Amino acid sequence: MKLPPFEVHRPTSVEDASRLLTELGDDAVAMSGGTELLLAMKLGLASYGHVVDLKRVGALRSLEVSGDVLSVGGGVTHRELETSPLVRSLFPALSSMLADVANLRVRSVGTLGGNLCFADPHSDPATFLAAMGAVAVLGSGASSRRVPVEGFSVGPYETVLAPGELLTGVELRLPGPGTGVSHVRMKTHERPTVTVTSRVEVAGGVVTSARLAVGSVCSVPVVTDTASSLLGSAREDWEERVARCSAATAEAVEPVADADGAVGYKSALVEVLARRGLHRALELAAGSAGAGGVAP
Amino acid sequence: MTRLSDPPVGTATAVGLSVERVDARDKLAGKAEFTVDLHPPFMLYGSVLRSPYAHAVIEGIDTSAAEATDGVVAVLTGDDLADIDPYYGHALRDRPVVAIGKVRFAGEPVAVVAAVTQSVADAALASIEVTYGTLEVAASLDAALAPDAPLVHEGAVRPGLAHGLGALPEREGNICYRYGFARGDTESVFESAPVVVEGDYLFPAVYQYSMETHTTIAHHKGDDIVVWSSCQHPFLVRQEISELFGLPLDRVEVIVPFLGGGFGSKSYTKMEPLTVAISRKAGRPVRILNRVDESMVTTRRHNMKCRMRTAAGADGELLGREVELWLDTGAYADNGPRVTATAGDAAPGPYGWKAMDVRAHCVYTNTGPSGSYRAFGSTHVQWIGESQVDEVARRVGMDRLEIRRRNLLPRGGEVRPGAKGVDADLVGDIEAVAAAIDWGAERPPNRGVGISIGLLAAGAHPVSMATVRLGPDGGVTVLVGTTELGQGSRTAMGQIAAEVLKIDSSRVRTMGTDTAYTPYDRSTGASRSTTVAGKAVEEAALSVLDALLETAEEILGVDRAELTVAGGAVEAGGQAIAYQELVQRRFGLAGGELVGHGRVQPRGKSGGFADGPVFWEICAAGAEVELDPETGIVTVLRTSSVADVGRAINPQLVESQDEGGTLQGLGNALFEEMRFDASGTLLNDTLLDYRIPSFEDLPAAMSCTIVENADGPGPFGAKGCGEGVLAGLPAAIVNALADAGVAMRELPLTPERVWNQIRKQRIDGASSKD
Ligand SMILES: Cc1cc2nc3c(=O)[nH]c(=O)nc-3n(C[C@H](O)[C@H](O)[C@H](O)COP(=O)(O)OP(=O)(O)OC[C@H]3O[C@@H](n4cnc5c(N)ncnc54)[C@H](O)[C@@H]3O)c2cc1C
Repeated sequence: MKLPPFEVHRPTSVEDASRLLTELGDDAVAMSGGTELLLAMKLGLASYGHVVDLKRVGALRSLEVSGDVLSVGGGVTHRELETSPLVRSLFPALSSMLADVANLRVRSVGTLGGNLCFADPHSDPATFLAAMGAVAVLGSGASSRRVPVEGFSVGPYETVLAPGELLTGVELRLPGPGTGVSHVRMKTHERPTVTVTSRVEVAGGVVTSARLAVGSVCSVPVVTDTASSLLGSAREDWEERVARCSAATAEAVEPVADADGAVGYKSALVEVLARRGLHRALELAAGSAGAGGVAP
Repeated sequence: MTRLSDPPVGTATAVGLSVERVDARDKLAGKAEFTVDLHPPFMLYGSVLRSPYAHAVIEGIDTSAAEATDGVVAVLTGDDLADIDPYYGHALRDRPVVAIGKVRFAGEPVAVVAAVTQSVADAALASIEVTYGTLEVAASLDAALAPDAPLVHEGAVRPGLAHGLGALPEREGNICYRYGFARGDTESVFESAPVVVEGDYLFPAVYQYSMETHTTIAHHKGDDIVVWSSCQHPFLVRQEISELFGLPLDRVEVIVPFLGGGFGSKSYTKMEPLTVAISRKAGRPVRILNRVDESMVTTRRHNMKCRMRTAAGADGELLGREVELWLDTGAYADNGPRVTATAGDAAPGPYGWKAMDVRAHCVYTNTGPSGSYRAFGSTHVQWIGESQVDEVARRVGMDRLEIRRRNLLPRGGEVRPGAKGVDADLVGDIEAVAAAIDWGAERPPNRGVGISIGLLAAGAHPVSMATVRLGPDGGVTVLVGTTELGQGSRTAMGQIAAEVLKIDSSRVRTMGTDTAYTPYDRSTGASRSTTVAGKAVEEAALSVLDALLETAEEILGVDRAELTVAGGAVEAGGQAIAYQELVQRRFGLAGGELVGHGRVQPRGKSGGFADGPVFWEICAAGAEVELDPETGIVTVLRTSSVADVGRAINPQLVESQDEGGTLQGLGNALFEEMRFDASGTLLNDTLLDYRIPSFEDLPAAMSCTIVENADGPGPFGAKGCGEGVLAGLPAAIVNALADAGVAMRELPLTPERVWNQIRKQRIDGASSKD
């Protein structure tokens, strides 16, 4: 359980990184902050002779807004994103979600890309981004492709990344007026036990869009179609609609039992957190309708 | 922090003041030396091969490839111990230095490699080939107590060298020790009692996480052994090493730098025998530095199951208590028998029972060995006993503070047959913790408050020596075998000497232990340092003072009665002579030094140490919790504790003891739990999976009331502290949660467990209405 020796490569472009990974094959791995990778190597769960450090790849470190789209480079750390004035003003829910991830030390070096690519079933950002309908941009220098974050992870510690391919960034739509976003979580260990993200839009007093993702209880985050039952509802219906929607969500999600809890308990938590999260999102949406979508 | 009484004014120069910790600046600057910072010349690095199986016969070990590896100097296996009696263990001598023919827990050392670098040593481990023949495993109390359970140990019990438990019973299956006592006719009390509360309870295995893992450097030089170790009890380690390796005590030197915490995990002998054995083979100093996963299987807190019942009158009079408990000591007894006895002692709680019957069993299983952990025994049982007292109160419709007021033992009351009577004001203590959480205030739904009180037999065996040296420049050096493990003992010892000599405590330097120079001290544990070792320091300082006064008498030509002492000088008739001058006048030229010795022993002039225990540490705490009934999450909003210390030598250190104990108590109550599977593998052996309390878990408010009734046997009426809250708080939290509606019989109170109990109560409630 001590870190075995390996060789470090420090490319400066996506193209070089990708080429190195392809050339070195199975004995090489990409590394961003290393908070997952080095831990796994220390625990003997993974072993590589070559580590391709992405920290000097400038292209992965961008953070910008164009129109209503926020683009986050794969190498941006949780902490950079959390404290970015741009994010704080345009997407406070994203900032506060990140503030709850791990601890300051991990957030300061751990990256959004590393979190998604490691594909640990217990993830805050993966749940959040799935609910936002975010898009993952994958590239290897020459070519690039775009896949929904929702389908990026295909199982525990498994993604759609092809050999040599990198997650270069994530794109997500900024919340507009009348949009409410909430991320509720519960944890008993270091990583979250349950994560539920809700995104709703309210216009003219009724719900016009609703999306809900449940994470950390199954092997990958799940976007349920249960939230559509809220569409068209007005405030006086919310209590009952949300209750039904949360119950249906708990029905729809099939948790996996692990050290964080049994299936029955996790299902109950999904119902509770979905209910609390949806209410919070609805309140935010109702409060911000016409106010630029900036929730407190 | 509240102090219930102010210290006497005008007399104190050092005692009673929160002077700055003498080690604070060096520790903050990274200058303080811990064992890991030491590098004796030619030191090698050890790496330990540990068994993957919990119970197996070792059919063969092939170390030839490891031995042939470049940079490897020696490889140790059980075969290297043929010339010594290789068994050690504080209570029972049941543990081989390294596995011999058999392994009894997953993680047991099977071989050690010593090499020129750590990575060479680690890499060489992989080339050692061990053939195991697996055996049936008893990885839990139930498995080990089953009629046809595999035996973890066979053969007769061999007592340890200095266990102090009297005649040890024969092993019975996997039960390696039994303890019990009784008073009155329990059967008839329970038969006639109008109220009986009973239940089965579970307490988990807990890891005594300290920032520094076990670290040892040993150099076996042939005729001498030097050990640098992160150990709490250097003199007991010296004794076991001397016995194991057949060298006289004075040829074994144990040196203890600063410790990064211990909490009992570094009590008694841990990694030292293995390190000495590999050094003996390598002929060079070797260091073994545990990783966290290794420390977790080096020692832990006993998990326990318990059956308890309490009988009471309809008026809330507590009448009888019957307790049977089984503690899981893992594969080797370590301090398990003592923990078992202390749990037994704590089980009745501080009440005036008409009848009580306590039976405690210490049980071997194929899991990592269990030993001491802050407030052992009391933490195990107090939450059970105190939750039954609360249940009695609920059934008879009495306030839970009132039932304690009426039933708590008075000063001098008998705790158990043959032991020292109560030496504190228990009603005052419980009232203080209740007041601090606003007992009786109105609370919103899903809130609850709880209080608890208990006793912990503290002080261990009261033997401590100390030496105080006053040099010709007025500087004072204290030599005392107490280990500074973060509790502030060097600061407190310095204050005691400074108080006696009436000098500023910054003029006193308290050294770490080197058994070659430091006088004997039994151990650093059981809240004993300030009380027992501190008393020895007081006496040593008094003896120096005596020499100073004697010298002053001669010089001034006056009687002792006319002398007064203040500000580092002796005065008579308006003439003051500084200590420096006294020392120089006594010895001439640049002067010698005055050396004073002090000692504490069970019998002898320090009268307070004749009866056991040295004192009863008071374990009183209060808590207010909030329950989220939908998720089962319990949030501790505030806590209170009482440090009934007789006299606070350094109030701030007392308070920080209670703060640390509060956090550990939260962990023990709410989430800490080592999980072994049926094969005996520890499932959560990293700090990612085994959660320890962090600042996030701090309650919004913690209050510590310092009670100073000058009723302790230590210096200035002091008695120890620092453990009580760890026993008191889990009990207060359990009681607070029951007050909020959920009565739990298993710790820790994980959200899922609480949620399950809520559902069970709902179903039970619904069916009882049918
Ligand atoms: C103590 C602790 C607590 C935590 N708590 C939480 C929590 O509360 N919530 C939560 O969601 N997460 C939590 N995490 C996970 C944390 O968010 C991740 O550790 C972090 O985001 C990983 O980023 P990294 O840059 O360090 O990844 P690395 O360790 O560098 O990489 C992880 C994996 O991703 C691959 N990879 C990295 N970057 C790329 C890329 N650009 N393209 C392709 N592959 C790539 C690597 O090859 C590797 O396999 C916790 C982790 C720790 C250690």
